[in-house]
Amino acid sequence: MNINAKTQIQEFRSVGTRPVRQDGVDKVTGRARYGADYNMPGQLVGLVLRSPHAHARIKSIDTSAAEALKGVKAVITAADLPDHADGDEGLLEILDNCMARTKARYDGHAVAAVAAIDEATARKALGLIRVDYEVLPHVTDVDEALKSTANVVHEHATSRVDPEQNVPLNVHATEEFGHGDIEAGFAKSDLIVERSFKAEQSHQGYIEPHACVASVNADGTGDLWVTTQGHFSYRIVCAQLLGMDVSKLRVTSSEIGGGFGGKTHVWAEPVALALSRKAGRPVKLTMSREEVFRSTGPTSPASIDVKIGVSNEGVITSAYAHLRYGCGPYSGVWGMLGAMTAFACYDIENVKTIGIDVRINRPKTAAYRAPSAPVAAFAVESVLDEIAQKLDMDPLELRFRNAVKNGSRSSYGPTFGTIGLVEVLEAVKSHPQLNVPLAANQGRGIACGYWFNIGGQTCTTLNIGVDGTATLTIGTVDVGGSRSSMSLVAAEELGIDYDKVKTVIGDTATLGHNDTTEGSRGTFSSSMATINAVKQAIGVLRERAAKMWEIPVDDVVWEKGCARAVGEEHGNLPTLSLAEIAKEAPNTGGPIAGHSEIVAEGVGVSFGAHICDVEVDPETGATKILRYLVVQDAGRAIHPAYVEGQYQGGAVQGIGWALNEEYVYGADGRLQNAGFLDYRIPVCSDLPMIDTVIVEVPNPGHPYGVRGVGETPIVPPLAAVANAISRATGVRMTHVPMSPPRVLAALENAKVT
Amino acid sequence: MHYSRPNSVAEAVNLLGGNTGNAFILAGGSDLLVRMKGGFVEPSLIVDIKAIAELRQIRATDKGFWIGAAVTCAELGESEMLRAAWPGVVEAANLIGSKQVQGRCTIAGNLCNASPAADSVPALVAAGARVHIVGPNGSRVTAVEDVPLSPGKTSLAPGEMVAAIELDERPAHASDAYIRFIPRTEMDIAVASAGINLTLDADGTIKTARVALGAVAPTVLRVDEAAEALVGTKLETAALERLAETCSAAARPIDDKRGTIAYRKSVVGVLAKRTAELAYKRARANS
Amino acid sequence: MVDVNVWGSLSTCTDNQKVIQIEATTIRGLLRELVEKYPGAAPWVKRGISVSIDGEIIRDDWSKTLPDDAEIYLIPRMTSG
Ligand SMILES: Cc1cc2nc3c(=O)[nH]c(=O)nc-3n(C[C@H](O)[C@H](O)[C@H](O)COP(=O)(O)OP(=O)(O)OC[C@H]3O[C@@H](n4cnc5c(N)ncnc54)[C@H](O)[C@@H]3O)c2cc1C
Repeated sequence: MNINAKTQIQEFRSVGTRPVRQDGVDKVTGRARYGADYNMPGQLVGLVLRSPHAHARIKSIDTSAAEALKGVKAVITAADLPDHADGDEGLLEILDNCMARTKARYDGHAVAAVAAIDEATARKALGLIRVDYEVLPHVTDVDEALKSTANVVHEHATSRVDPEQNVPLNVHATEEFGHGDIEAGFAKSDLIVERSFKAEQSHQGYIEPHACVASVNADGTGDLWVTTQGHFSYRIVCAQLLGMDVSKLRVTSSEIGGGFGGKTHVWAEPVALALSRKAGRPVKLTMSREEVFRSTGPTSPASIDVKIGVSNEGVITSAYAHLRYGCGPYSGVWGMLGAMTAFACYDIENVKTIGIDVRINRPKTAAYRAPSAPVAAFAVESVLDEIAQKLDMDPLELRFRNAVKNGSRSSYGPTFGTIGLVEVLEAVKSHPQLNVPLAANQGRGIACGYWFNIGGQTCTTLNIGVDGTATLTIGTVDVGGSRSSMSLVAAEELGIDYDKVKTVIGDTATLGHNDTTEGSRGTFSSSMATINAVKQAIGVLRERAAKMWEIPVDDVVWEKGCARAVGEEHGNLPTLSLAEIAKEAPNTGGPIAGHSEIVAEGVGVSFGAHICDVEVDPETGATKILRYLVVQDAGRAIHPAYVEGQYQGGAVQGIGWALNEEYVYGADGRLQNAGFLDYRIPVCSDLPMIDTVIVEVPNPGHPYGVRGVGETPIVPPLAAVANAISRATGVRMTHVPMSPPRVLAALENAKVT
Repeated sequence: MHYSRPNSVAEAVNLLGGNTGNAFILAGGSDLLVRMKGGFVEPSLIVDIKAIAELRQIRATDKGFWIGAAVTCAELGESEMLRAAWPGVVEAANLIGSKQVQGRCTIAGNLCNASPAADSVPALVAAGARVHIVGPNGSRVTAVEDVPLSPGKTSLAPGEMVAAIELDERPAHASDAYIRFIPRTEMDIAVASAGINLTLDADGTIKTARVALGAVAPTVLRVDEAAEALVGTKLETAALERLAETCSAAARPIDDKRGTIAYRKSVVGVLAKRTAELAYKRARANS
Repeated sequence: MVDVNVWGSLSTCTDNQKVIQIEATTIRGLLRELVEKYPGAAPWVKRGISVSIDGEIIRDDWSKTLPDDAEIYLIPRMTSG
């Protein structure tokens, strides 16, 4: 590890240190309570019946035998989840996905659910439910679904029609970005490379399955304990779907065993609430791994065409990408995100991207860490690598010649402010990995990546305890160590030690609304609100000190965790510590606290570059990752170890996708590998230690310069690995994952042609 | 469901014989418990054999080695005499799952689970291992390759169980090896595999060979033609190529999510070559 | 009056103009005028539009003022993982 700080604008005392994480002891001793680790008196077991068909009309459901079974307390179907969406199409889609209303639209789509006194009874009851299906033709491939002859996945919401044949298409949305004139740009270029790419669907692969305990009372109040990235959003959506008052549903987020975007959407939680409402008892609903794969939201499968023209000097003169993303049976924003990010790393005069969302009979696509960007980068960075080869130019140099900088116009519109891609590339250039010699069958790949940040609604509270320690309550779920980072921030502002601040995640009754932990926003937004809350508390502390001293508050300043009197008259008073002021609180006005309710604006963006060294076994097509380097701009690393953790984790997920992870569908439209045996995420022994460099180009929009870092690390790996394999084998890889059979087939093909 | 934990083989055989329903032996449980949890089997009786002292032992006999059916794969890996004599069998057993799985699982369970991809089975077939079976009608001994009949089915009669697996002693200038291909480095299931056992002359000419392939047919494949391609050679390039060709030709794999027919046929030949080279190197070193 | 840049697909609702003139001093006013002038943009506003002012992307704070001569871009409002 090393930190490459460009400008040291601020001196920090706590920020930038690496203390032990506050949730660590609970996690390593097994005491941390995850979604399934909570129980209520009288609790029932909920299980869901799922469609075995990729596409089928539900003609009827007979639940009478299941209801008659001893120990069964509730059986529900879509009829028990009436439409409260009030014309909101998006909400109705969520409801339809939670429980199929008229049609099962993918293998694994929920059609009914039961709550019973134990799992055996619930399982037996599922077997007694009779569903009469009329099986319909299905389509699971993105390019197949786009053909005008393809069957229509979702009849109501189809928003595009083939203009020539006037038939509905499975196109949900088309988005376009860019500027300049790409045809003129291509005409000017000395070299044009054009290629098509395909990326199979991957799942976030979080280790903790979805789990919740739902309890709805007869008086219309309820509680939900759940593993989620955003309990406030879950509350709103669940209350709306069930027709409950938002404030009467209290949602508590459990510890979370990974989400990566997959726990930003509700899946079985509304079903658990509906079961509890009907049974009149709490219901615990835990998904199996198979259910997680079949019935929650993986990322999009995609198909992409890229065309890039360059001058002989390696300057991009024109760039075009057509990106097609599967969105499952419902609406999506995935084409839009791919089209916005595809060329975001480069300053290009003429650029155009078209992103399309395509409906298919697969589970509803959910966000997965920088959604859509990894496969867009796979396509674009692969073409750039090929261009570098054809120009006989160092691929890093090619990136330098085109990299966006402060003042560059982004490919999706706005002009960039202070950004750090060039600084990242400089850090790559001076890294020793570039000088490690490569042997036969080995190759080195480089790729860049970009992702936005989002800010959003944020709310925190700082409470000072009687002994001068502090409790910070935040509302963004901690998915990667942010409680420790927030304690560092509060300690920094208050001027006290890290171990005197304890950060907890408040439930929905404790704080005002907080947007979900997504879009790399958790640390960015909550640290901003934390700084505000502490500043407010310091104002109160100064007032209390002034009261204790009986002097005007304007003569009191806050320094190094103490109140100090200033001015000629009082400047010689001994300082008052936080603990001394806290002790006097009952007699100076009561509890001392600071609050902040904000919309966090001022987001930065984060660029990264990865270097991957591989060795390919030419006889089996197996790829071994020899070395892997992540360099990324963090703006300011509050807790560098967790920033590195994000870099490493993102890289590992990307490597898994690059090499092995994929949804495999049979001709029957059913998912064939709904488990970790055949859906291969990497294991430790598959990987070298992932090396990291944190570059710090502070974000001027944040008081400490923080940029969100969580998502960018998964953007470059598909391309970095593909470029490394392509250079090791001499064959350009255009289809991820680059599993051994696929690589060997590509090598054999290249021999033949 | 009834669970019992007998202390002797006789008691276990009695329990199995007296059961009219669906009885299952429980060794490490790394297959059985997974299948029960998935709802694929619902045993009426479970006979746990881990408390039978006799079945927990690895013994040197006058003919070779006796490996009790409840010996874990981790214990095989800790046995120096087995590692020296049958490195291929031990390395196959030590590829199963992970450290945690190896602390539980057994080679007898691996065999009786009758998966075409079971890792220890090709190594045992190449080694010419024998299976010691006990049942209501006494005991019998059979070759390993006679136990699996098809995926999930064995030739064990109702009430029968495997008591031990026996290996010969190891002469000089002989050794074995096992290599599998998986897309990951562990926690995976073989896409194809090869176990090879070689005996050489003092000058390095191969005297006898046994070749067995895994995951490329409904059961383990013993490929005698491939073995013949090695005998009389010093594993020159031509012999290796011949070995790969015969193995690829003998393979009868299926297309599935884990690999295509073409891929498996091609890779099993590559693995056979690499396994033969490793076994040969070991045999040369074993003087 | 400010110049407002719109992204490709939104320009289908602004008579295919990539730059439009809007009379507004805040984001709230800008979005209101946009729909007034180009009713086809209403569903886009409903789905979410972020406004970039001199490169700073404002997602939620509609009270932000639009300085004279600022570079203003409309982009889709983002959600993510
Ligand atoms: C995470 C994981 C990873 C795995 N990885 C691998 C791998 O890499 N390679 C591989 O080959 N396998 C693998 N397996 C499968 C399994 O671990 C092996 O097949 C193992 O050898 C089974 O041994 P066991 O003792 O646990 O068998 P058990 O589960 O106890 O038994 C398996 C079957 O054999 C029967 N049986 C057991 N002992 C006897 C006996 N003495 N007589 C008659 N019948 C008997 C049982 O009734 C049952 O039907 C894996 C399993 C898991 C859970």
